[in-house]
Amino acid sequence: MTHAPRQLAAARGLGKFYGPRLVFKDVQFTLTAGQCLLLAGPNGAGKSTLLKVLAGLIPADAGTCEVQVGHDRLGFLGHVTCIYPQLSGLENLRFWAKVHGLPLDDDALRQRLAAVHLADAADDRAGTYSRGMAQRLNLARVFLNAPDLLLLDEPGTGLDAASSALLTKTIRQARERGAGVIWISHHLERDLPEADAVLALSGRGAPAYHGPASGYTPEACTC
Amino acid sequence: MLRAALIIAHKDLRLLVGRSSGLVQAVLLGLVLLFLFSLSQAPGQRLPAQSAAAVFWMASLFCEILVVNALFFVEESQGARLALTLSPMPLQAIWLGKALASLVLLLLAQCLFLPASVAFLGQSFSGDVWPALAMVLLADWGLVALGALLGALSQGQAARESLLSVVLFPLLLPLLLAAVRGMTQALGGPPEPLENWFMTAGAFDLMFTAAALFLFPYVYGGDA
Repeated sequence: MTHAPRQLAAARGLGKFYGPRLVFKDVQFTLTAGQCLLLAGPNGAGKSTLLKVLAGLIPADAGTCEVQVGHDRLGFLGHVTCIYPQLSGLENLRFWAKVHGLPLDDDALRQRLAAVHLADAADDRAGTYSRGMAQRLNLARVFLNAPDLLLLDEPGTGLDAASSALLTKTIRQARERGAGVIWISHHLERDLPEADAVLALSGRGAPAYHGPASGYTPEACTC
Repeated sequence: MLRAALIIAHKDLRLLVGRSSGLVQAVLLGLVLLFLFSLSQAPGQRLPAQSAAAVFWMASLFCEILVVNALFFVEESQGARLALTLSPMPLQAIWLGKALASLVLLLLAQCLFLPASVAFLGQSFSGDVWPALAMVLLADWGLVALGALLGALSQGQAARESLLSVVLFPLLLPLLLAAVRGMTQALGGPPEPLENWFMTAGAFDLMFTAAALFLFPYVYGGDA
């Protein structure tokens, strides 16, 4: 007997206005464990706004949004790096581990830093990190509590080719253990093969496309 | 919630004391204020105890404002607020952590302001010190409780948030009046019963704490 995969997030008729401006409407999707939904669309189409609605940071103006994952099992990566520049990389991670109530000692935290290629900079102040290093520290923070649902807003920002490959590998590993991923990307050629489904926002109301990733062609999209 | 608040407070104290970011300016501002008031007196002249107490609390208030601004700025500079608000800890724990860190820093600053008041304002602790110390603790909690709420407000960019700060600021006046009365006695001012002032300070402490616990999630939660 097989069990249906656990539903992690669902949106039905979701809509959002900024003042009189319609950002998106009629957004519908379901995300189950292990799935990856790629959010596509031009700048200003409302991709980041949709992610914030899903995270509960801002309310939706229409429709319903059900996220079956609590904050303790949610990993959110936004446009900011969420680091304390005056603290070292290790101290940053130690703080976030305590905030999440994770019993990780310094050796375990150093391993997490090594996994994002920051072993040599673990004791350096995070303020001295480059943008890419800060983003890798941010990734280590997001994956610290092995989240069940990952909301990633352009996670590849500032990363070089090797770090981007590391990011892809980490997301793949998270999906293998059952995490669901909603991922905003502007590098569709690179990231599309990782996705199960695509939701393309048009910036003009209803989504331009929602369906399997295999059937999505950015050129055919009117957005 | 207390455990989470202590984690926040510990991190903030590390940032502000260990790395001296923000604390030095806050203490210097208070000390400069005390020194400037000393210049208003003729050589050998002694400021009345009540005036000296008022100057001491003004220095404490301005110091507190800079401290809470620094405490909340550390969450804004690289967007750590976003991760904090999405963490499993209750949002009130952030307020409590900031208030506790702020209390420690304010008490540290006041440890410098007290001898500076003696040196610059020609005061001596010839009165009853213990009630004054109790009043300092009561008044400090009220300052940091409301200060941590105002600090969260001050990080917003919308005009309504600035307006709220202006509206809430006068709420501190009764607490400061009670604090000045307590300190006046310690500095050898005319004795008077302080029971009513203690009750006033206690009542405002409770009110500020309750208001902060209720309002902080609305002020600090949501889109960072």
